[in-house]
Amino acid sequence: MYIKSLALDVLKKYAIILVLVGIIILFSLISPYFFSWRNLVNIFIQQSYVIIAALGLSFVMISGGMDLSIGYQISLVGVITAMSMVWFNLSIPVAIMLGIITGICLGLFNGLASITLKVHSLIITLGTMTIFQGISYIITNSNPIYGLASEFKFIGQGYILGIPFSVILMIIFALVASFILNKTYFGRYVYAIGGNEEAARLSGVNVKKMKLLIFSLSGLFVATAAIILVSRAGSATSATGVGTEFTCITAAVLGGVSFKGGSGKVWGVITGVLILGVLSNGMQIVGLGVYPQYIAKGLVLLGAVGFDTYQKTKKGKDNKILKNDNSKEITTV
Amino acid sequence: MQTILSLQNITKQYPGVTALKNFSLDIREGEIHALLGENGAGKSTLIKVISGAIAPDDGTIYFTRSRNEYNQLNPSLAKDEGVEVIYQEFNLIDSLTAAENICLGEKYGRLVNYEIMKKKAADIFKQFNIDINPTALVSELSTAQQQIVEIAKAVSRDANILIMDEPSASLSVSEVKCLFEIIYKLKEKGVTIIYISHIIDEIFEIADRVTVMRDGNYIDTKNTSNTSRKELINLMVGRELKETYPERDTSSQEVMLEVKNLYGNGVKDISFAVKKGEILGLSGLVGAGRTEAARVIFGAEEKESGQIFINGKQVMINKPEDAIKLGIGYIPEDRKKQGCFLEKNVRWNISFANLKNISHYLIVNQKKEEQTAEKYKELLNIKTPSLYQIVKNLSGGNQQKVVLAKTLAVNSEIIIFDEPTRGIDVGTKQEIYELMCELSKQGIAIIMISSDMEEILGMSDRILVLTKGRIAGEVQKEDFSQDYILELASGN
Ligand SMILES: Nc1ncnc2c1ncn2[C@@H]1O[C@H](COP(=O)(O)OP(=O)(O)OP(=O)(O)O)[C@@H](O)[C@H]1O
Ligand SMILES: [Mg+2]
Repeated sequence: MYIKSLALDVLKKYAIILVLVGIIILFSLISPYFFSWRNLVNIFIQQSYVIIAALGLSFVMISGGMDLSIGYQISLVGVITAMSMVWFNLSIPVAIMLGIITGICLGLFNGLASITLKVHSLIITLGTMTIFQGISYIITNSNPIYGLASEFKFIGQGYILGIPFSVILMIIFALVASFILNKTYFGRYVYAIGGNEEAARLSGVNVKKMKLLIFSLSGLFVATAAIILVSRAGSATSATGVGTEFTCITAAVLGGVSFKGGSGKVWGVITGVLILGVLSNGMQIVGLGVYPQYIAKGLVLLGAVGFDTYQKTKKGKDNKILKNDNSKEITTV
Repeated sequence: MQTILSLQNITKQYPGVTALKNFSLDIREGEIHALLGENGAGKSTLIKVISGAIAPDDGTIYFTRSRNEYNQLNPSLAKDEGVEVIYQEFNLIDSLTAAENICLGEKYGRLVNYEIMKKKAADIFKQFNIDINPTALVSELSTAQQQIVEIAKAVSRDANILIMDEPSASLSVSEVKCLFEIIYKLKEKGVTIIYISHIIDEIFEIADRVTVMRDGNYIDTKNTSNTSRKELINLMVGRELKETYPERDTSSQEVMLEVKNLYGNGVKDISFAVKKGEILGLSGLVGAGRTEAARVIFGAEEKESGQIFINGKQVMINKPEDAIKLGIGYIPEDRKKQGCFLEKNVRWNISFANLKNISHYLIVNQKKEEQTAEKYKELLNIKTPSLYQIVKNLSGGNQQKVVLAKTLAVNSEIIIFDEPTRGIDVGTKQEIYELMCELSKQGIAIIMISSDMEEILGMSDRILVLTKGRIAGEVQKEDFSQDYILELASGN
């Protein structure tokens, strides 16, 4: 009996990996073009920046927060990086540094706002999102910034030993995130704040400082994602990256990051992003347009969440009365 | 007397634990039936089976009045059978008022009637002789007040069988007395009561019969009129238990912590000193300001004015982190809200407050972590199938032990114990007392807040009595007596 329940536990835990494998098999059967080395690598290239941004968001979500401003963080970081190179002729490393610092500052700003205003970061970032949007559009005046140096484009388009550079970056960031969450006490604190903020505080965790650090770290990840995206696109606009926040949130939830905070795993988030990525890539190859893809993504999310709640509440049925002696009584009376 | 509820061969298994083994028990109509057993013996599991909160793997539950037999119930069916439960873990809605919680799910006419609700709540609070505003939000109430709201909620409904899982755990002597009066009144009305408590004297005071359980097994049922404390403990732990408050040498004169004219969080003008190796007891009625004072000292609440000195040096404590850095440890009173991380495992919880000390740079030394957790699991007798069980799945008393372990694992010089043995069985209590003595021998200063009169008289070297946020008096060891302390506490 326990072996059975253990097997069920394992199944439950890794269910989304099965979902990913299932979708891959499905598309492979439908289209011969899907399961090719080139296409699979393509999916990874397309998704590498999303994975990095989603990992950044995971830090925030595991600690019980939320960040809706990720899309416009990407937009703003991208614009500032491109602007530094194209308009101010700064060198590539300096421009990248500026972009990263911008990202960290945006995260820090979110963190500061949420601890000083004492409002949930969902609301805070709803506000900062439009602030970042405004700044980004004021800078670009809605015009794209072209003419990025080819060395810069290497980040998103180049290969090292046959492996796309962006994928290498993605792997490095995944390892770093996993290391932080699993091996360091900083990581433990992230889970603790999401699990029980008061208990964490009383155990000596400086919750405010942690929140600032978590948002800054998230900003660093998001800025990296932005630079990869701009480099791959070859130009920056204020619309670059917008909407990524919802992909990231969907992926994180799919991957088992709890909305309440306190739980979530790096491999889960990566699998979540890949499910969404494979889904849109596969549907495109099969010939279904963007709109059916939206529907499919939504359904997958609802399915995953529904499965989760079903697992948690699947008990306490069959409460039927076994036997009732009243009937006997009535006949004897 | 007639049987009202009959449990037959109930079995409940969890991975790695059999919480109930083939358990059978008859409850008689109109009796007060106590359940006794060590932490993790299966008491709460048993009542959850009766209330339909969980489904047993095997066995039947038979209600004599309705003649219904079930192999599992659900909460609404149990309610239909007249079962009401006060759970060990509170089930109140923080964002509603006390009155709304009490009347939750009841209907008076078509619309919500706040006046009736308020009156009903106020009536019950009056019986308890306690000052709770029916319109106060539950989140603003203290643990003891919440317990009373919880009791009021169950009591106000017409139950045939009222089950109380450690209702007295967070109450002080006078509230327990009121609780007993209410129980007697219910008994007169013919309500059957199942009562769980680790305080054996209470069981002798109110119960007619007591059933002892051990490791999920039924051991024996005794009439309280012809058994003894010793016999019950023997049945419960399966061996003789020496119950004494350990002797200590209390000659130190070196002041470790001194508080001068502390104001804030509702406490007023608190001044006292604790010496090295001393155990200072803080006594008082519910709401007297004991926890409130402790939280200000620890930096968990804002201090309005006053000074704190450690080893003669004035210190600034603005947040718990500061206090911990200065060597102060605090074991909070509410294990679920302030103490543990329910979704994380035992090892994770025990090591949490000490993580920085067992880390090299940022990296946690997992071997040391394992060792610490193992050590405290042994020391405090934490009953769990493994260190990797999540804390939510432990019994209430074992969760409390995890909370103790978490603070003790940090080697503090001053430790504030806030209701440390709440919900802990007699055997482990003894071990905790010995541990506290060991700490005091090492020169650690201890402040102990406890509503358990016997415990505070037995363990303290000196007792401060608080009323309404102020110190009402200081009692030296030679003057210790329950009556004197109660007199001070009531503010006369
Ligand atoms: N949801 C669960 N999952 C796994 N194990 C559980 C779960 N609930 C209870 N247990 C285990 O069942 C056993 C009995 O627990 P129970 O809560 O009934 O003890 P108890 O007698 O009420 O103890 P206490 O005096 O500490 O409240 C314990 O060993 C506990 O760890
Ligand atoms: Mg219990």
